[in-house]
Amino acid sequence: MIGVYDFCGHYDWTFEWLRAQGGEALLRRYWDEAIHRDSQRHASRLIAERGFAGMAEYWGHTLAHEGAGYHTTAAEGVFRIDMHQCPSKGFLIRNKLGAYHDYCDHCMGWIGPMLRQAGFAVDHEHNHRGQCWWEIRRSNDAAAPAEPGTLPGEQDVRQRPDWKPPGAGLDVYRHSNHPDDKAPGAT
Amino acid sequence: MDKLKPAPAIPDQQPEPPAGPAALPFTDTKPVGAADFYFAINATFRFIEKEFGPEGLRRYWQDLGSRYYAQVTASWKRGGLPGVADYWRAFFAAEPGAEVRVEASPGQVSLDVRVCPAFKHLRGQRRDIVPSFCQHCCFVSEAMAAPAGFTVRVQGGNGACRQTFLPLASAPPPQDLAQIKEAA
Repeated sequence: MIGVYDFCGHYDWTFEWLRAQGGEALLRRYWDEAIHRDSQRHASRLIAERGFAGMAEYWGHTLAHEGAGYHTTAAEGVFRIDMHQCPSKGFLIRNKLGAYHDYCDHCMGWIGPMLRQAGFAVDHEHNHRGQCWWEIRRSNDAAAPAEPGTLPGEQDVRQRPDWKPPGAGLDVYRHSNHPDDKAPGAT
Repeated sequence: MDKLKPAPAIPDQQPEPPAGPAALPFTDTKPVGAADFYFAINATFRFIEKEFGPEGLRRYWQDLGSRYYAQVTASWKRGGLPGVADYWRAFFAAEPGAEVRVEASPGQVSLDVRVCPAFKHLRGQRRDIVPSFCQHCCFVSEAMAAPAGFTVRVQGGNGACRQTFLPLASAPPPQDLAQIKEAA
């Protein structure tokens, strides 16, 4: 049986299997069709119906169940997640797994299209070390992301001393809904 | 099958000895997995079957069993049937909602799956389960077991089943897929 205890391990392995079969395009279609529209359709429905309140409800439940170290901030017109210990990437790092070349892309791969459908866009950065942040605003809100430390205060993941260790590449997204929308200069 | 390519040779799949449940190759910081991940497993089967057909889905299961779970195969080769039993006891202890009795007797290990944790969660959340879902236990486990000198037979399904691991040398009759129920 394939279980959920090591789910992140075979999820990552499956990304590489799909990429080998049909390239990155097939994998992106998998994230959208299988994860966003099928597996996580409860999230899609909740956020489409309840907007920011739905985000708080969904990520509060999911991240707690996955054992994440995270902080969420809800403010006028924005919902923010600061992920200090990603349970998913953390599992791969601890177990020295890494079949697919950029596991972190899967979040934008399904969350991006889900939020677009619900009328939202994302500012997001991840450091490939199990830390990331997300600011979600309505698609027609062109506001720039908050300066470090201003929205979540001391919980801002960008204030961690290990946010950008030497050699770590940040993937940067601005007002985006697609895993390939990495901002110029992203490494 | 024509669309399928060979499974990738995947590097970096050799973690250090686990610090958690000794019989599992990978360990987490929490004692059991998050049940909602069964949604993704079910959705993944559906997607691959849509893209590549039933044979493609079987090929995915076989590749997963022989490659991702290669360390389990190695531990079964070292530990024999007691190692098989230890693995499944640790495995089901970490699956939320599982009710499974693992019985080791001379010459075989049997899993009496009284409550399949995946079916319990998927049904509880009113998800449509891929009809061939139960076949994955047969194809994944056979791919894990054969290189270690074992084979598996599955009977039942649709939420409860019996899985028996035997030495290949005992030459049991081939698996009859008709003995594995479709999800309904």
